[in-house]
Amino acid sequence: MDPSEVEFLAEKEMVKIIPNFSLDKVYLIGGDLGPFNPGLPVDVPVWLALNLKQRQKCRIVPPAWMDVEKLEEMRDLERKEDMFTPVPSPYYMELTKLLLNYASDNIPKADEIRTLVKDIWDTRVAKLRLSADSFISQMEAHAKLDNLTLMEINTIRAFLLDSLNCMYKLRSNMQPGSSKGQLTDY
Amino acid sequence: MFIADIRKEFYEVVANQRVALLVAADIDALCACKILQALFHCDQVQYTLVPVTGWQDLGTAFLEHKEQFRYFVLINCGANVDLLEMLQPDDDSIFFICDTHRPVDVVNVYNDTQIKLLIKQDDDLGVPTYDDIFRDEDDEEGGDSGNESDEGSEPSGKRRRFDEGAVERRIERQRAKREWEARRREILFDYEQYEYHGTSAAMMFFELAWVLTKDTKDMLWWAVIGLTDQWVHDKITHMKYVTDIATMQRHVSRHNHRNEDEENSLSIDCMRISFEYDLRLTLYQHWSLYESICNSCYTSCHFKLWTLNGQKKLQEFLADMGLPLKQVRQKFNSMDMSIKENLREVIEESSNKYGMKDIRIQTFGVHFGFKNRFLASDMVHATAALLESTEKDESDSDNFIKALDSLSRSNLDRLHSGIDQAKKKLIAVQQTVASCICTNLILSQGPFLYCYLMEGTPDVKLFSKPMALTLLCKYLLKAFVHSTRNKRCKLLPLIMAAPKDVEKGTVIVVGIPPESETSDKKNFFGRAFEKAAESTSSRTLHDHFDTSSK
Repeated sequence: MDPSEVEFLAEKEMVKIIPNFSLDKVYLIGGDLGPFNPGLPVDVPVWLALNLKQRQKCRIVPPAWMDVEKLEEMRDLERKEDMFTPVPSPYYMELTKLLLNYASDNIPKADEIRTLVKDIWDTRVAKLRLSADSFISQMEAHAKLDNLTLMEINTIRAFLLDSLNCMYKLRSNMQPGSSKGQLTDY
Repeated sequence: MFIADIRKEFYEVVANQRVALLVAADIDALCACKILQALFHCDQVQYTLVPVTGWQDLGTAFLEHKEQFRYFVLINCGANVDLLEMLQPDDDSIFFICDTHRPVDVVNVYNDTQIKLLIKQDDDLGVPTYDDIFRDEDDEEGGDSGNESDEGSEPSGKRRRFDEGAVERRIERQRAKREWEARRREILFDYEQYEYHGTSAAMMFFELAWVLTKDTKDMLWWAVIGLTDQWVHDKITHMKYVTDIATMQRHVSRHNHRNEDEENSLSIDCMRISFEYDLRLTLYQHWSLYESICNSCYTSCHFKLWTLNGQKKLQEFLADMGLPLKQVRQKFNSMDMSIKENLREVIEESSNKYGMKDIRIQTFGVHFGFKNRFLASDMVHATAALLESTEKDESDSDNFIKALDSLSRSNLDRLHSGIDQAKKKLIAVQQTVASCICTNLILSQGPFLYCYLMEGTPDVKLFSKPMALTLLCKYLLKAFVHSTRNKRCKLLPLIMAAPKDVEKGTVIVVGIPPESETSDKKNFFGRAFEKAAESTSSRTLHDHFDTSSK
């Protein structure tokens, strides 16, 4: 899976906007949207929010978790715990990138938010790398990882699968004759 | 016809149609075009952009597109000539003209159906009233036929008297008509003899965006660049520039207050426009201070830097300010912070001593990201250099598109290459000015001064373009006025000629009015060139929109 595909999936998340035009309810295959009235907040998917923002037809309201104090707490919690802590949103990384690229004038303290989200991401990916490393080196049979987001899984997926395949090939070649018997150990 | 409500009568009319944009090749037009393009993108209006460099281009572009488009928007071209006669359009073509060239042709003003002018009516136009210029022919005929029918019903005895009465009245009417026509010619001559410029087109379109509440900081910045272009290329008076800057300042404060307050500061990547009372040294923040002083028209003319005395004075000036030569000669960004902090005030104080009273000018600067700070005049010079770059294998429309791109925030490397080209252009201008003055190439031909650049002059290729040649012309006149002792010569206008195309042997000619502090920037060379061309029957092409260059 490509990171751009993950971003595409992330664009289905809903975000609140304040439009400056009016439009009746719109019936789309994915669901209904609207009605839009100027000055009244309405929930729309991120793809529509970004398009409207670029055409200057709305103002984006940052999601509740995109706040400096909340993100600071999450970052500190993440650093303390060994396991993965619950995430603010299953697509927190993509949403941050999209909203801060296109709508940074609607988001207060955008620079600090960018830094905090990057910190949270770095901590989680570091934990993921450690976990993958121990999984491979200690040849464990299964692992349980809670609270991972699709983007993080996507980051490690190619590497983990390829390395496990390599390990399997190496081990199955070490004992050429009785491969079936050895498999049950791993 | 002047448009009263730009939103209803222009934008809402074209919003659902396909539009052809015909844009002239100057920076103000480029900025206006950018603003209009941004508005069209918001509302998904289909448009075709055609750059035009002269009347011939305009005619060809119109012929190519007249079948497909009904609505044409002309930016900085077309107002000062009878457009309907020149283009011969169909009856359903409608032209929206936003042009800074004045005077607006009277036919364009009084045509109600096909020509709509996006110009404010109070923009000191001085258009003659309708009755002074146009007159219905019907009144006379009606009078005559009425008299004749009266004659028929009267008894024959009085016929002779009535005949005489009718003849007298006819003679009277003819005399009145001749007088009226003479007055009309005089009024039109007065109206059309001087050419000057009105409010910037970019500012007009920014107001449209503001009325639609779709104005962004990008559009505001482009409007500021359009206004600064008029000032840098000396198209408007200082008073008008200051008034327009005040208008822009209101918009800038409105935008700054909207987004920023104590707790919620904006991201560093957002664009911030600020009002600056900054130095008149061209490109000084992207160059070294020394180079900038040597190559800016204002300082170089006051110091007379083409003479040895001038160089000494410059050294004195720098010593007076306490700026070490090593610091001043290196890139501005690498100068010591302690020097940069009070630089403007220090320079202002010292320049007052040397007779340069207006070294500081009101302008705007933008800054976004950590590295990027530009003044409006920097952007004008960079974009002008890109627009008129004389590299081989680059057509005019390529240059136009490159210059248009450099105005966007995302094309910074193009902007930087524009700044480099602008530096080369300024150095070339200064060297040419110095050589012309030192070798006395400026000749006085009676009522005007005259200078011809030979083909072998270095960098003469740069001056085959109208804007660059006009810039050179102005600098040369200023330098000449400062260097000559002949009082009469100081009040003469200057005409400059440079080779345009070496193979075809054509020459481009530019004329500018005399140098004075309070000039109203009215240029009479348009008519003068036409008359001269007729009387000498030389092959001329009056192609540029600015009639002062041929």
